[in-house]
Amino acid sequence: MHVSAGTEDADAWGQVARVPMPAGPHRVWVNDRVFRHSLLFDGDDGRMLGAVDAGLGLSSKPPYPAPGRNEVYVVESFYSRGHRGQRTDVVTIYDATSLSALGDVEIPPRVADTGHGIALAALLDGERFLAVFNQAPGSSVSIVDLEERRFVEEITTGGCAGVYPVGPRRFGMLCGDGTALLVELDENGRKASLAPSEKFFDVVTDPLTVSGVRDGGRWLFASFEGFLHAVDFSGSAPKPAEPWSLFTASERSDEWRVGGVQHLAFHGPTRRLYSVVHQGGPGTHKDPGPEIWVYDVDRKERVEQLDAPNVLFGFIRPFVGVDSTSFTASVLRTLLPSPGVHSISVTQDEAPLLFARNTDLGSVGVLDARSGEHVRDLEEVGLSGTMLVTVAP
Amino acid sequence: MSVTFDPKARRSLDRWCEDAARGLARRFGRRSFLSRLGLGLVGGAALPLLPVARAAPGARAGGPDEDITGPEGDPTKCEYWRYCAIDGLLCSCCGGSVTSCPPGTEMGPVTWIGTCRNPKDGKDYVISYNDCCGKTLCGRCFCNRNEGERPMYHWYRNNDINWCMGLQSQIYHCSTALVLGVAVEGQPEK
Repeated sequence: MHVSAGTEDADAWGQVARVPMPAGPHRVWVNDRVFRHSLLFDGDDGRMLGAVDAGLGLSSKPPYPAPGRNEVYVVESFYSRGHRGQRTDVVTIYDATSLSALGDVEIPPRVADTGHGIALAALLDGERFLAVFNQAPGSSVSIVDLEERRFVEEITTGGCAGVYPVGPRRFGMLCGDGTALLVELDENGRKASLAPSEKFFDVVTDPLTVSGVRDGGRWLFASFEGFLHAVDFSGSAPKPAEPWSLFTASERSDEWRVGGVQHLAFHGPTRRLYSVVHQGGPGTHKDPGPEIWVYDVDRKERVEQLDAPNVLFGFIRPFVGVDSTSFTASVLRTLLPSPGVHSISVTQDEAPLLFARNTDLGSVGVLDARSGEHVRDLEEVGLSGTMLVTVAP
Repeated sequence: MSVTFDPKARRSLDRWCEDAARGLARRFGRRSFLSRLGLGLVGGAALPLLPVARAAPGARAGGPDEDITGPEGDPTKCEYWRYCAIDGLLCSCCGGSVTSCPPGTEMGPVTWIGTCRNPKDGKDYVISYNDCCGKTLCGRCFCNRNEGERPMYHWYRNNDINWCMGLQSQIYHCSTALVLGVAVEGQPEK
């Protein structure tokens, strides 16, 4: 076929889109461990906006957005021969608008790898320092200075895991002796102090899940048996508050319990805590939940019970070619069994959206976080993944 | 790794797929397979001297009674008795066995442990879930059971962690389940 080039009807070659800016309040990153990347979606219309890759690992580590720097960071591991050879770990720096890699910072090749990806790294307030959890199997944290784009140092944190940011130069950790640890950095990102709390939980009989949510200088953690622990990291050492029960005695006898992966979400302005719950015995702490219970953390009481969205329809709809507004779709939504959800995340604006996913289905349910109404699905988000990262504008 | 797929939910989904999706789309079937393949996982390794193991010295004589009928005696099934705290792909389905890694992989030297009850002899055994590493996910026989499993700060009871640490390559392939000995105490939830 002969096509004359350069006519005014032809599209320009080589166009590359950019992520629309300024960002709205309803954006979410969705990771996928099979494709080893994370996709960015707009929760208002379900549109995909772009992607970043994730290196090797079990969970596909999530992106850490830094709106103030207009950058996105991903912690990645590579081998010199694909899956063999010398291991190299880096923090890759992306421009948040072009999603092009601007460079990377090499860090010690000991970055922790878990199936869930929860709390393995944290961007500290002010967006200057990134803390990366290592486990080999001794635990430590690597500090990266994002302003100078250099590795600062590795801080030994034996017996403690996870990183929970609480300020520009401080973060918390949970420890295997039932304490929390506060790590404080100096102005250059080097270790200034380590301060443990007193023992406040039992790691065997009722451990805290690592899927905490931040409330200012506090982090809220749920225990396996359904007690909420608030740990204040704003002082000189972590200060745990008296835990309170997420379940009544009657609910406990009916075996309601917390569970999933990223199973808590917190909307700061309304003080609402969202918790994925299911019915099951001990050992079911990773099971998906059919409901999401909502608590007022100041009144320490439940205020609502929401149904988890059925994410199965959103998963199969693109494959069966059913129009999402058709009668067939409404029938399928009713008939399909709901597999429940493992992970949730809520935006922080005045009209918040709650995102929910099952780790083994490639769709995300989008709820109005105030009413619980299932407003849409994010479809074809991947094949299997654990996390949802909402992005503050 | 943690791949948090609930076996009961998976069975339910499997049934649904068989009953409802049979004529629906070959693509869905393939996707379901890929989804499971993605259920990455982690495995464990050997910590025979860890105090946590609490295995009775010398109690290995004879080993557990493996003459068990049904899935609790089948190392290719999630219900197999040794898998009470496994979160990973079964090496028994990947060219290895419950005690050996598939060809060309390496067994991790550190691990997480579980305490599982043998249904035949009624004894509790300390199980070491050594991961096999150096090739990408086997992708077969994913199981996730969490009896006695604890979060990653309690690392030797955690099955989320990639337990290929200490090897040349930390690429996870599948998990084994080695008996370390008779446990002197049951797992914490029993």
